[in-house]
Amino acid sequence: MTNKVTIQRLATGVPGLDDLLGGGIPEFSFNLLAGTPGSGKTTMAHQIMFSLATPERRALFFTVLGEPPLKMLRYQQQFPFFDIGKVNQSIKFVNLAADLLDGDFDRVLARIIDEVRDFSPSLVFVDSFRSVVQSAQGMDLGAAGLQHFVQQLGMQMTGWLATTFLIGEYLAPEAESSPIFTVADGIVWMSQQVHRDALVRKIQVVKMRGQSQSLGVHTFRICDDGVEIFPRAVLKSASTGAGELSIASNQRLSTGVAELDSMMGGGVPAGYSLLVVGPSGSGKTVLATQFLAEGVRLGEPGVIAAFEKSPNQLLSQALNKMVSAGEVGVIDTRTLDLSIDEILHDLVKMIVSMQAKRVVIDSLSGFELALAPIFREDFRESLYRMIAVLTSMGVTVMMTAELEDRYTMLRFSSYGNAFLADAIVMQRYVELNGQFKRVISVVKVRASDHSKDIRLYDIDHTGVNIGDRLVNHRGILSGMPTLDQQD
Amino acid sequence: MATIDEQRHQMIRRIVMHRHDSTATDTILLWERLACELTAIIGHAGFDTLYVRAAHLARGQHPGLPVAAGPNFDLLRNYLLQTPVQAMEVNISLLTILIDTLTRLIGEPLTTTILHSAWGTDAVDTAGKEPQQ
Repeated sequence: MTNKVTIQRLATGVPGLDDLLGGGIPEFSFNLLAGTPGSGKTTMAHQIMFSLATPERRALFFTVLGEPPLKMLRYQQQFPFFDIGKVNQSIKFVNLAADLLDGDFDRVLARIIDEVRDFSPSLVFVDSFRSVVQSAQGMDLGAAGLQHFVQQLGMQMTGWLATTFLIGEYLAPEAESSPIFTVADGIVWMSQQVHRDALVRKIQVVKMRGQSQSLGVHTFRICDDGVEIFPRAVLKSASTGAGELSIASNQRLSTGVAELDSMMGGGVPAGYSLLVVGPSGSGKTVLATQFLAEGVRLGEPGVIAAFEKSPNQLLSQALNKMVSAGEVGVIDTRTLDLSIDEILHDLVKMIVSMQAKRVVIDSLSGFELALAPIFREDFRESLYRMIAVLTSMGVTVMMTAELEDRYTMLRFSSYGNAFLADAIVMQRYVELNGQFKRVISVVKVRASDHSKDIRLYDIDHTGVNIGDRLVNHRGILSGMPTLDQQD
Repeated sequence: MATIDEQRHQMIRRIVMHRHDSTATDTILLWERLACELTAIIGHAGFDTLYVRAAHLARGQHPGLPVAAGPNFDLLRNYLLQTPVQAMEVNISLLTILIDTLTRLIGEPLTTTILHSAWGTDAVDTAGKEPQQ
């Protein structure tokens, strides 16, 4: 039997943050919320405070020389989490500016401890701690004085059983040598970057003692409800066995087009990613709609992330009907400054809530365009992570990709993304007997037999209708097939 | 029916009039308690800014009113002692302007919370009431 101390983790109330921290903020920890100006530090601190503060778990918010408290209160109460009923009951704001102006760290420390003793808070916030540091530098008190102050503060707050957050403006973690970086149990870094007109906010848990934080840089937004974080999707290690799904190897999903199922060796293997590639107007979205409709017919809800047009424009009557009936969920991709993790977050949330089995991403090129420019640079790597996460959930993913028909070369997607797909269906136009004809072929179905035929197909009001094999022709993929010369 | 602003103004008038027969020191106590509560939250500089603006605007009606309160409100106290007839109206003007400004900046509910902390149950709770046009 172990008698090791159990560290309680407090749920921060910031969507996504607890996942990054490794389960919540450790009780009685001494933390730094740092980042560039305007990156949302104070907003996130308030969000945490208002979420956690109760009459039994009170919070003290010290303001120093940063944002004037009047303005802070004015702006922060615009967020719904700012519960005015908690002010002066569970939450107390205290201004330390006058104490700091004298430059006497001992006096500042004594004032903080006095307030902590009087109010008995479980949560303490100091905003902005950077002001304290700058004050030390400005008054030539030196690093030693600051270090002593920080160590004393950390020790005192822990001694009074307070979980503490120091909020400060810093430009980059590696550029700082402040003692706070050594003393802090946890460091959360927030930043915002403008890249080709798109602003992207990023957050990183640089350090979190005693627990395994989610590594790497994650994206977040400040929306009407406050800060929302989209943890970077990482595929869980197979060795942990956590959440591992077992899918019967012979389980197949119908595409909704019987002939195509037959060409694929019996449908799309469950949990596969299928890439449908073809030129504009070749019927990729029609096929995707049939794929979803077949799922609905079998009682399998679906989700579509529509990037090609606005959802209202995209929805065909058939798709619209399924969406209205709640059988298919639509991910609304409003802006062109999304991160892949934000889209994946929305997708996963909808898949879980709808218990969806089928997911359509229409199309990859539209998807890439919807991302903020900075994320387009890593599109291939991000797409790999996204497909891995989705398929690990047991859903079958159909992606469409539009490619210009260049008859002198055979490509299945931009940047070689096709290797990410477990199966590929190709659609093309060919000129035959003075007419544009459409042909379809199954290029690949990983670990499965499939037809090698190139078959003619048409699209009508019922959907994709696959016809005969195009026989006795050669050079079909050149776009201008010729009849084989019979001997 | 009185608007929230009118209710707040009536509350200020009632509180000041309640102390009208008392000494100037008793009236200054209102200011000290409000300053104590506000300074704790917005700092001395924040309170001084609100006070100076209120005094500046109130001087239109009360020429000679010092624009600063002075240490421990000494300048205001002296002015009130020198002008006992106007003292009540000076106080009402100053408090009304300052509290209206605070309300515009941080809203009615938070202002009421602060006034409650400063003046106790004397402060009427106008928070959460529907604004009247």
